[in-house]
Amino acid sequence: MNPTSDVVVTGLAAISAAGVGTQSLLDSLKRGRSALQPVPEEILGERGHLWGRAEAFKAADYLPPLKVRKLDRCSQLAVVAAGMALEDAALTRGAVDPLRIGIALGCGFGGIAYAEEFLRGYFTCGAEGLVPMLFPNVVPNAAASNASIEYRLKGPNVTTIQRFCSAESAFLMAKRFLEEDRADVMLTGGVDELFPGMLTGLKAMGQLRSFGAGPGEGAGLLVLERGSHARLRGARVLASVGEVRSVGRFSPAALGEALDRLLPAPYAADLVSLSGTANQETLLLSRLPSSRRLDVGYVIGRSLAMGGIAMAALVSLLKPGLTGLQLAASPEGPYYAIDLYGGELVEP
Amino acid sequence: MQTDRSKRVAITGLGVFAAAGRDVPSFARALRDGTSAIGEVDLFDTSPFPAKIGAQLPGFAPLDHFTPRQASRLSRVDQFGIMAAGEALRDSGIAGHYSPYDLGVSMGAGASGMLKCEAWLKETTAGRKASPSMLRGLLPDRTATAIAETFDLCGYQSSIATACSSSASSIGWGADLIATGRLKAALCGGSDCLSLLTFAGFNALRLVDPEPCAPFSLGRQGISLGEGAAFLVLEGADEARRRGATIHGYLLGYAVAGEANHMTAPEPTGADAARVMRAALDRAGVGVPEVGWVNAHGTGTQLNDAVESQAVKEVFGERAARLPVVSTKGLTGHCLGAAGAIEALATVLALKGKFVPQTLNCRGADPQCDLDYCHGGARPSGAGVAISNSFAFGGNSSCLVFAG
Repeated sequence: MNPTSDVVVTGLAAISAAGVGTQSLLDSLKRGRSALQPVPEEILGERGHLWGRAEAFKAADYLPPLKVRKLDRCSQLAVVAAGMALEDAALTRGAVDPLRIGIALGCGFGGIAYAEEFLRGYFTCGAEGLVPMLFPNVVPNAAASNASIEYRLKGPNVTTIQRFCSAESAFLMAKRFLEEDRADVMLTGGVDELFPGMLTGLKAMGQLRSFGAGPGEGAGLLVLERGSHARLRGARVLASVGEVRSVGRFSPAALGEALDRLLPAPYAADLVSLSGTANQETLLLSRLPSSRRLDVGYVIGRSLAMGGIAMAALVSLLKPGLTGLQLAASPEGPYYAIDLYGGELVEP
Repeated sequence: MQTDRSKRVAITGLGVFAAAGRDVPSFARALRDGTSAIGEVDLFDTSPFPAKIGAQLPGFAPLDHFTPRQASRLSRVDQFGIMAAGEALRDSGIAGHYSPYDLGVSMGAGASGMLKCEAWLKETTAGRKASPSMLRGLLPDRTATAIAETFDLCGYQSSIATACSSSASSIGWGADLIATGRLKAALCGGSDCLSLLTFAGFNALRLVDPEPCAPFSLGRQGISLGEGAAFLVLEGADEARRRGATIHGYLLGYAVAGEANHMTAPEPTGADAARVMRAALDRAGVGVPEVGWVNAHGTGTQLNDAVESQAVKEVFGERAARLPVVSTKGLTGHCLGAAGAIEALATVLALKGKFVPQTLNCRGADPQCDLDYCHGGARPSGAGVAISNSFAFGGNSSCLVFAG
């Protein structure tokens, strides 16, 4: 297999229930120990549920107090993780023309916590209860936009959401923007937050089970850039990006075609990272009989944009020369298969 | 720069379901005649707010279009989206021409099922029970899924959520999906509806005009909110011609960018708004002299309209004084997540119909907005190219370049 374009990964960041930083995630994965914690009984009115809150993440450790107050949790996670990813890629402020660096971020439940708080104020106290400063952050693009403001990312700026494949959707976009020379560097990945109202809603809808062992939160960011740009600045290349294949939904009348489009036979990968509900996709998994599997969801919980953290883990574990696959799925679709290769691929 | 015109992205289907028109012919009439859809809002209680009007889809009855079971499972936004998407797909005549995996949806999302979720929150906040099914449409991506299911679109499926530029960006991205061969046909657009969240939110920020919005006008006080959906079917021009499709126009190029300036205020010099217009023209391989008119974001807020006017001057130089710059928001209201798609549709229809739409509700000339806004009425135009701007909270901006 060969990469279809000269796009590489040069930086990573992960904040999750396992802790702050990619290493804490890798440590938890290595130990195979779940970082999920019991959901406090007062939230759901019963015991027995788990969630993956990023408890070790305290925004005040990284951001000034005024900014902490101003930003919703999703934005806090995105801003801090973006800074870590840029640092990991050795991209200091000013290293790239602001017009040539952008962000494409998957965001699942972004903005909903502030929307709930804003509306609850209205339902409780009428128009007098509305807090105007909450409203700008009810949009899902607040996280990416706050990160763009923080680091002057003036290139393409897009937030995507599509079920459990929100981060993969953003990844595809970031890759394309680089291939088209719309940017030299793109931050991509996913961010999600957990809040009590979300759990209440998921429980009411009977959807907590979709999240496997429990819902999670956090941010997983990757720095993508064209290989030529990375080489020019002497950047360390963690992985090379191959094909990104996607199917929106399975047509029962043409299931084989969907599987072929996602995992064309013969398909082989050394390490497969499962994101969203890919761990339940038996037909897809049957095409990967000998691949080692990595499922971060068991350790940190599942969320709509967990693909960012899953890809950060996959790239971290992908030694040079190994092939990796990010396989993501949602119960109603879409599905993604992203090829990644450890290190930099050198033309023979 | 995209200059190979044989590889153009063609627009082969159009659909709309909005306050300003429930199908393309009625929307086109309203666009040409300047018939505003802004009026009374009765979806929720507007009495606590300074501005009480909007462009609500009047008398919309879901059971006229959906079975009771469907109507109960689909949010208002899903329903609008399915209506508009259905018209666009029928118009394209695409059924049976491609594998379902070659047909996809790229959608701009907004408040989605927030209206029902608000009712749930209101009840539960008051300590009353409410049906959990009201939360089903909460996530902005639900409409894309509902459309894909309804029309058996099995290819790429995604939603862009960049507030008021969502659906413009989704159309640009749809062109990329065609250009890369990822899809043979992309259903691109957006759907959004009025909700208490956005009505209260924009009112709380004092960004809503108590009278119908008056873009680029003296004394403008802000937006009028609106609702609706619009979709375009994009295909490779060669393939569209081969299958005998009617081509309504072309999407020549687009650009998306972040201003990285402020969550709610535009970059004040207009330099970033100008940058996204220039980038889109560059991508389209279109020179400034070729652009016949600009479909502006034109919200009717003090800052947006002044900054956008300045940006147009920066891009078009001396030509700016003679270049029609119009806002259709006085007609449609600001449809937020669907605004970019509705305005893209208006641009394509006006190019096709050889006219420039008017900007409604002029209250006098504003020295900060000193361009030609077509306040006097729609006018004939032989323009072959027009651009459509979208700007959003978070500094997310988009520009689409269309040819007739």
